Amino acid sequence: MNAPAHLHANALSVAFAKTPILKDLSADIPDGKITVIVGPNACGKSTFLRSLARLQKPDSGEVLLDGKSIHKQANRSVAQRLAILPQSPSAPEGLTVRDLVTRGRTPHQSALRQWSHQDAEAVGRALDLTGMAHNANRPLEALSGGQRQRAWIAMALAQDTQILLLDEPTTYLDLPHQIELLSLIQSLNKQSNQTVAMVLHDINLAARFADHIIALRAGAIFTTGNPAEVVTRNNMEQVFDLKCQIISDPVHGTPHVIPE
Amino acid sequence: MSWSLRLPFLSLSFSPRAVAVGFGLLLLVNLGTVLALRLGSYAFTETSWLSVLLGAGSEIERMILMDHRLPRILTALGAGACFGLSGAMFQTMMRNPLASPDVIGFNSGASCGALIAIILTGGNVLLGALSGALFTAILVVGLAWKNGLQPQRLVLIGLGIGFALAALSDLLLSRTDARTAADMAEWLIGTLNARDWQDVTIVWSGLLLLAPAIFWIHFPLARLGLSDDLSSSLGLRLSPLRLGLTGLGILLAALAVCTAGPLPFVAFAAGPIARALVPNGKPALLGAAVIGALLVLAADTASRMVPSIQLPAGVFTALIGGPVMIWLLMVQFRKGKL
Repeated sequence: MNAPAHLHANALSVAFAKTPILKDLSADIPDGKITVIVGPNACGKSTFLRSLARLQKPDSGEVLLDGKSIHKQANRSVAQRLAILPQSPSAPEGLTVRDLVTRGRTPHQSALRQWSHQDAEAVGRALDLTGMAHNANRPLEALSGGQRQRAWIAMALAQDTQILLLDEPTTYLDLPHQIELLSLIQSLNKQSNQTVAMVLHDINLAARFADHIIALRAGAIFTTGNPAEVVTRNNMEQVFDLKCQIISDPVHGTPHVIPE
Repeated sequence: MSWSLRLPFLSLSFSPRAVAVGFGLLLLVNLGTVLALRLGSYAFTETSWLSVLLGAGSEIERMILMDHRLPRILTALGAGACFGLSGAMFQTMMRNPLASPDVIGFNSGASCGALIAIILTGGNVLLGALSGALFTAILVVGLAWKNGLQPQRLVLIGLGIGFALAALSDLLLSRTDARTAADMAEWLIGTLNARDWQDVTIVWSGLLLLAPAIFWIHFPLARLGLSDDLSSSLGLRLSPLRLGLTGLGILLAALAVCTAGPLPFVAFAAGPIARALVPNGKPALLGAAVIGALLVLAADTASRMVPSIQLPAGVFTALIGGPVMIWLLMVQFRKGKL
């Protein structure tokens, strides 16, 4: 893996058409851990993640990558340290899985150096880790939803960055595929110590797979901490307006929300 | 499947299918060139064209081949390649097959500029076409610019400006004497009538000069096919890249227009045909260049075959391009993209 990289948000404010989305939001993304951003619809989760990935420029405040404002660094150098998989990404028709994963190598390539040995290794490794090697020559549109999402993850892995951001990676997947994908992300995180930050809708999945949870409400941080600290009856009521009981997941021991 | 090429200064990967299609297309260009050399109001036999080319034959035969047909064919190939490259660049950059320079007004701008140069100053067609295309591009890009360059805005504004410039060209025609206007009207449809070695030099030296830039920009262009968010997160700087691509595409379109006139549909059809031959989701710049060259060569040869009617080549490219447009619209419609 690449040199360590650290991500920090400092007093971010973002507004769309004068409606404030994020309000003076500061947060630290712990290195080498899985951070999950949760919150009700329209609380600014995606905008927060996109700001972290420099895809959304904040109106005020800044995102610091390795202590320097991310917008003041060369885009290519940022791309060597930070990868993001946006929500419902799209690729040109006919592009094969291998070609897609190869696109992930872009920040390490140039017009004259389009296919180095390192590129071939990184692409092969990403295909193996995601179990997509046998699908490598198939076009993306021929795959099932779950396989397609794995192909996109493989592309982000081939980018070989210390930080990986995922915007609702489980959207459109059924429960078994959601678990499969999140388990894959968890095992990749354990193997390589990659810092992962993702937006998830499902609070129970967040509690099961996160090391660290950031709970947003109305564009501001409501609370942060490990799942046991964040997923409490009181917090759920205040963040989601949800009356619930919290039990201990009988298999994993993580907190589990039972709505009333 | 892909093959790798690794040299100390260059590493590439490419698909065997693309290579095979490439060789097939080059073969077609060679066959087409030979046919175009032989056919016409004075036809050469299967072998005589070669001996004339090598210096034998009568004075007249040499003149027909060396002073008329060969420069005309080479201009057709060069202009077609420029159109094809320019079209494929814009279409890939905008992720929209409708966004080719002949649709978004750049060809109209180039021809309007050339008309102004010819009518008002009696001057340089190349300079007129270049400044016309550049002026149009600045206008279209300037109007479309809003927090960066957005494809849909560019297409719509380009369409509108293109219509306005076509009207301006018509106005210019109506203000000139009938004979010049008739010549100009033919030129506005696109023709390769009476091209000489000067045109060959212009279009091919332009292509040669731009080739390194085209090779360089192909790499980020291939990545632009992903969404904006993705290409940006892969480290590309979108707005400078789009400006560079627009500049290069305009230079190519202007080169083609000043040597062959604003031949309709070549820039538009070349890319989609090339991508249909190698459907791997890549920009197919080289393929589009060769297809463009073939289209213009075929159209010009066809126009020479019916000398009695004197149809300009643009009529034939429209005959080929029209169905391609309908096919594209139907495919787009079926996919729910329209």
